[in-house]
Amino acid sequence: MSSLQSSILVVEDEPQMRRFLRASLGSRGYRVLEAESVLIGLQMVTSHSPDLVLMDLGLPDGDGISLTKRIREWTQVPIIVISARGREADKVVALDAGADDYLTKPFGVDELLARIRVALRHASGQRSAYPEEQIHLGELSLDLARREVRARGENVRLTPIEYKLLVLLARHAGRVLTHRQILKEVWGPSYEAQPHYVRVHMAELRKKIEQNPARPRIVVTEPGVGYRLQTECP
Amino acid sequence: MPNLASPKLQDAAHIWRSSGVVAATALVCAVTGSGMFARSVFGLSVTSLPDLVALYMLAIVATALRYGRTASVLAAAFSVAAYDFVFVPPYWTLAVTDARHMVTFVTMFVVGLVINELAARLRQREQEARVALLQARTEEMRSTLLSTVSHDLRTPLAAITGAATTLRHDRAHLSETQRADLLEAVCEESERMERLISNLLEMTRLEAGGALDIHAEWVPVEELLSSALGRLDGRIGPRDVKVELQERLPLVYVDPVLMEQVFMNLLDNALKFSPAGTELRVAAQASEGTLVVQICDRGPGFGRVSPHVLFEKFVRGEHRGVSGAGLGLAICKALMEAHHGSIRAQAREGGGAVFEVSLPLASNPPHVSVGEAS
Repeated sequence: MSSLQSSILVVEDEPQMRRFLRASLGSRGYRVLEAESVLIGLQMVTSHSPDLVLMDLGLPDGDGISLTKRIREWTQVPIIVISARGREADKVVALDAGADDYLTKPFGVDELLARIRVALRHASGQRSAYPEEQIHLGELSLDLARREVRARGENVRLTPIEYKLLVLLARHAGRVLTHRQILKEVWGPSYEAQPHYVRVHMAELRKKIEQNPARPRIVVTEPGVGYRLQTECP
Repeated sequence: MPNLASPKLQDAAHIWRSSGVVAATALVCAVTGSGMFARSVFGLSVTSLPDLVALYMLAIVATALRYGRTASVLAAAFSVAAYDFVFVPPYWTLAVTDARHMVTFVTMFVVGLVINELAARLRQREQEARVALLQARTEEMRSTLLSTVSHDLRTPLAAITGAATTLRHDRAHLSETQRADLLEAVCEESERMERLISNLLEMTRLEAGGALDIHAEWVPVEELLSSALGRLDGRIGPRDVKVELQERLPLVYVDPVLMEQVFMNLLDNALKFSPAGTELRVAAQASEGTLVVQICDRGPGFGRVSPHVLFEKFVRGEHRGVSGAGLGLAICKALMEAHHGSIRAQAREGGGAVFEVSLPLASNPPHVSVGEAS
């Protein structure tokens, strides 16, 4: 759990934002590298190989999305994009281009740290102390070998699609998945234009695993973007 | 034989067809007609010519006031010609025997042009006054908006500045509880500002040209409601929220982000205006081609404000101490209209308010079969 050696590259042109990130991440033991522009950001990813990249999509000299694609050409370093509210389409494009997660400005430090933790955990392949075939996430536990799902101790019967959905979300626990990503993984590439398939099955899944489906705590909707299986309280 | 399709002839035909010219012609003919009638019945003599001239002037004035320049110049010219042709000897020709009549012709025409000019100026002044009034009204609205925004943003900002400077200045002297309190204030007031700014941006977007970017999809309304409730989770806290959704509601074709915002705004209102311990109720039913969602609270209701007035901009409820520029409901209304739906408010039986959102249902929404559990 040592974040002491993890380095985070912050690609952000706003000085006050960098100040806040420097302070909050630094105090948690992360090594913070800073870049004010896309150009410098790219150089620093190459020269410093950070453990994670935090990138604002509203940079003056360029396009966070093409930076994401460039980075993905040679490394799987986790990328978290930062964008303003109302620019959901940008986030979806960034996620589909290879970013791992996103943050919406203004965001609090708790959300920031949670996202970073999740991204680093997935990147390092560490999950829980349990072997791959078993996933335990708060109220939920999955036994992949036996295809069993329990919510709050009770056995839950899922349809094949609901099971696939849940496993996908669990494998990416804490991270956002776009509609497109889910459709591709669960239904296949030819279904990319049918987001309502996801929505309807997600609603059914919630009815079965959530204590109160009207106020879901496990599978959370990210409006305009997709879904996230919540692992920690933000 | 003139080419009937030539552009010049087309233009002339267009001018001829415009109502001003027709009216001018009609008026001049009317005056000429009445003059001829008077002459034949009452034996009009040359001394009555001034009266006729006056009548023609009337026709010109009427044309000038009511129709444009072209029409009134034509009226002037036509009047002179008619007068000469019919009433000035030798009759039925445009020639004149007495050169003094030329003075009359010229005067008639010139006065006609002057009247025309005066009328044009009058019309222009009227137009300018109308534009000025519209601009004044727009300015007033913008002033109101700016002062409301100023006030509503300054209020939380004042709290944040106060708390942050206290923390900076008195750091060593504050107890842990006091520090926690002040920091809580900074967070809450920041959230308040964020909500207001979002609303303002939304309103600006809705007003600018009115073209709303809707990305509609087939969405289950349950998801939108649960997402909205989820986002307000912190503010709902321990409050009781009854959710009563009809089984198997059909999918609706809406922009999920915008529609969720409608529900967020309504729930936010309900939370703001109803006392902390009271319950909220969210219900949805489909009937007769419409999906209806109701958001109900046990707050004080609308007081003396008529429910439909609430949906206008900047109208707040009557209750003091409630923040917000009064844009939330106006935004809801605009968003619902963009989705060909509607929203209305009514008093709730037993106290409180009901906000009802209606969406049209498609005749055959997609049906996704959910399969059997294994």
